Amino acid sequence: MPDRIDYDIMVRMLSAVVRRIREAKDTLSTLDAATGDGDHGTAMCKIAYAIAQHLDGNSNDDLQSLLSTIGWSIMGTDSGSAGPLYGSWFLGLSESCANSDDFDTTGFAVMIEHSLSNLRNYTNAQPGGKTMIDALCPAIDAVRKAADEQKSLEDTLISAANAAENGAQQTKNMQASFGRAKNIGERSIGHVDPGAASMSIIFSGLKEGFIDG
Amino acid sequence: MTMKKFINDPDNLTTELLEGYCAAFPDRVKLVSEKIVLRAEPKDNSKVALVTLGGAGHEPALSGFVGPGMLDASVVGDIFAAPGPPKVIEALRLHHRDVGVLFVVLNHAGDILSAKAAMQMAEKEGLNVRMLITHEDIAPGADAPAEDRRGLVGCLPLYKVAGAAAEAGKTLDEVYDIANRFNENMATLAVALKPATHPQSGQEIFTLADDEMEIGMGQHGEAGTGHSKMLSADETAEKMFTQLLAAVNAGSDDQILVILNGAGATTQMELFIVFRKLKQLAVEKRINIVHAKVGEYLTVQEMAGFQMFVAKLDDELLQMLKAPSKAPYWVVT
Repeated sequence: MPDRIDYDIMVRMLSAVVRRIREAKDTLSTLDAATGDGDHGTAMCKIAYAIAQHLDGNSNDDLQSLLSTIGWSIMGTDSGSAGPLYGSWFLGLSESCANSDDFDTTGFAVMIEHSLSNLRNYTNAQPGGKTMIDALCPAIDAVRKAADEQKSLEDTLISAANAAENGAQQTKNMQASFGRAKNIGERSIGHVDPGAASMSIIFSGLKEGFIDG
Repeated sequence: MTMKKFINDPDNLTTELLEGYCAAFPDRVKLVSEKIVLRAEPKDNSKVALVTLGGAGHEPALSGFVGPGMLDASVVGDIFAAPGPPKVIEALRLHHRDVGVLFVVLNHAGDILSAKAAMQMAEKEGLNVRMLITHEDIAPGADAPAEDRRGLVGCLPLYKVAGAAAEAGKTLDEVYDIANRFNENMATLAVALKPATHPQSGQEIFTLADDEMEIGMGQHGEAGTGHSKMLSADETAEKMFTQLLAAVNAGSDDQILVILNGAGATTQMELFIVFRKLKQLAVEKRINIVHAKVGEYLTVQEMAGFQMFVAKLDDELLQMLKAPSKAPYWVVT
């Protein structure tokens, strides 16, 4: 297995993301029904479709245009707050690819850190607020740590997926202080946040696509 | 208790209400692309266009204020939910013109997300759009950060002011500056007595005890700051008006606009009784209420309560408020 991410490997990783989102549709909607309006599974499937559209062939494209095309496409889905949030997340991923089409662990760390800074144009949600950020931030920390320790990409993606999954699980005990679930206050405790769950599913898909091909 | 409302399929509420609204005012508004309400006769391309977005269930807002002198378009979402970016960017593209578009957005999480996404897309496409966010709710405190203060009924007179400036042929920057001056000199407080039922879920959107009221509640039952026992009309009026005047820093000889906006189940009788007290207080403080509106403009289904709105006006803003308008729910001849 190559210890780098290039265009073809990214397509493989994103294909796994699409597959994982589609499998999780009902789970995500059920989670959302507890604290929101119950449509997060449907919303994520629209996003999966927007990703999938750009994954077949056309490998003349570079990695940056692949990720930014996907970002704009997600931005243009009618999927509640998920569209703008995941759209800007993908646009953030694309930003770091301006001069490179081939990423090692350090490059991937930079890429994933950019994704958060672009997301910051849309949300001020902080860790602990019971949002997608609670899965994203631990994953970014894990990637950064792995990069600093010069781990392989495989190990890095495994740590990231585990950290995102743990982060999502921990939202169960949190009271929402951002997003729509904020309005239900204490009643949000006891349910995993659907946005954190979908973010962790994405990291799990990235890992699977990289390892399994 | 089961929900008692004259509706059909809950999934079609927005489409059906927009079709009915546009059918009621065919000479003034029309519906395109299912969720975009436009003027029947488009404004000349040489003038700045005014576009807004927001959820449904607040009728006659926001689409009731599309028309000559006010909005060019309102992009409607679902009940209490913002429209997605695709419809918003579609409306911005429809109004693309060299002189530009003023895009007014009420500060609510979903509206802001959608608006920012549409703005990012508009920028990529080279559209000339400036976004203005209303956030005049003073429930979290008049000094609270803008992002913590919600956009309430104040968007409506702001459309009026900005719309008049646009009709007068002002540039986008001029229209923006006038609208923003109004934006920075307005304040709203809401009070709720009884909840509304969400017309799709049939659930009450909040709960309040029989002998309680809540000052500061948002447009969708978001918690306010002041749970208290019921007060009389005069006591409620004084408590809210005093805070609003302080928020806009209105004093002796200032001229103000006052709007009392019924939430849906509060009677016109009650609104007049409250307004009577406001007038007395204004006279005592030598503040001139130079323009007033008392009625239902931005509702929350059958919620009982009202929003009290105050704006401090300079002569230009007053002139813009009094300029002609043919928007179905704000007619000035």
